[in-house]
Amino acid sequence: MRILIAEDDPISCRILTNNLTKWGHEVVVTRNGNDAWRALCARDAPSLAILDRVMPDVDGIEICRHLREADSPVHVILLTSLNRREDLLEGLEAGADDYLTKPLDAHELRARLQAAQRILELQESLRQRVRELEQAIEERKAAEEALRNLSLTDQLTGLYNYRGFINLAEHHLKIARREMHPSLLIYADMDGLKEINDTLGHRAGSTAIAAAGQILRNTFRDCDIIGRLGGDEFAVLVPSIKEPESAKVIERLRHNVSEYNEMSGHKFIIALSIGAVEIDHEHAWGIEDQMARADEVMYREKREKKGHEKAQEAQKRPA
Amino acid sequence: MSLTATETPAVDLAILAIYDDAQIEGEPDFVVELIDLYLNEVPRLFDTIRKAVFNKDRSTAKRAAHSLRGSSGNLGVLQMATIAGELEHLENDYSTVAPELLRSLENEFERVKEILNAERQRRSA
Repeated sequence: MRILIAEDDPISCRILTNNLTKWGHEVVVTRNGNDAWRALCARDAPSLAILDRVMPDVDGIEICRHLREADSPVHVILLTSLNRREDLLEGLEAGADDYLTKPLDAHELRARLQAAQRILELQESLRQRVRELEQAIEERKAAEEALRNLSLTDQLTGLYNYRGFINLAEHHLKIARREMHPSLLIYADMDGLKEINDTLGHRAGSTAIAAAGQILRNTFRDCDIIGRLGGDEFAVLVPSIKEPESAKVIERLRHNVSEYNEMSGHKFIIALSIGAVEIDHEHAWGIEDQMARADEVMYREKREKKGHEKAQEAQKRPA
Repeated sequence: MSLTATETPAVDLAILAIYDDAQIEGEPDFVVELIDLYLNEVPRLFDTIRKAVFNKDRSTAKRAAHSLRGSSGNLGVLQMATIAGELEHLENDYSTVAPELLRSLENEFERVKEILNAERQRRSA
């Protein structure tokens, strides 16, 4: 083992050093507390330290305390004078692992070192095990992340996720072009999700998102493609539809939202800004371009709502 | 005064002999090395104690006496260890008793030097 000695008394120090060297240990000798502390903070610090209780600058107990504050794994044996029980208790309270009384008994020292070595080896194998477990957890997380990236559905709402929605919508648009059917693309963005999160907590926020998903599911048909694109954004692609049915579908969605709010009993209300665009079969390509169009329409509605709210607030404010 | 405690030997050579166990093969005699360290250390500690007692610096004197007690105990220099212990824990009549204890230590050290030097020569022979 590499063992650090901190002992200002030259004779004690020499006796310790000789014994440890003879038993095959590598000894780092320091003669005061400051040097000992520096050696124990070094990168290749010894794993065991034998510290004299009394030293002129920084004493053994203080070093012990610093080591434990720094979460150091160094095994500390404190040297105290015989009959100094209070020193001993103070030392153990400061975090010493063991103690020896002076004058040193070589046989006792050797036995204590063997005990220390057993403890250190056990700790090292524990640390090794923790490292292995941490690595296994990391690998598992990476695998789950990879799986999530492969999945097509959104966990919270059970709707398609961005990937799933885009893939399916793209495919649908190809069929629509071939069969010359118009489609309706709806972009729906929740209003005030941030406020719900901030005032009622993230759990309420999640409930609100799930509720919005449920409203969409209840509003549209099984053959419609509904997705949560992320955060508070949803999209729906309705195949084979044109005016005036398109307007009715939107109307039904708005109706279902307000009905939900009347019945739900939640502290929050669901509000959606909706942007809808019709896609005629001749232009039925580039789902992402179509979505950008729908998004723009949706934003116009959102801006108008905000403007309206501000106007209302201004009216409420006393002149 | 403790000088009457004649049953305590000046140096217990059996204690010194324990350190033969720590002798590393091929190196100079370890006990001789310890004797040399001790013979060097003691005058230095006497010096510190003398100045501290003169300056009424009790904590320095106490610390040096503590070291002297430890080193003497380690090498089996038992009588000196006892007197150093008295000085270390001295509370009453400090200004009169402390110089007396120091003088006893110095006298005792003359005896100890002879014994340790003899042991040293025996081992070096």
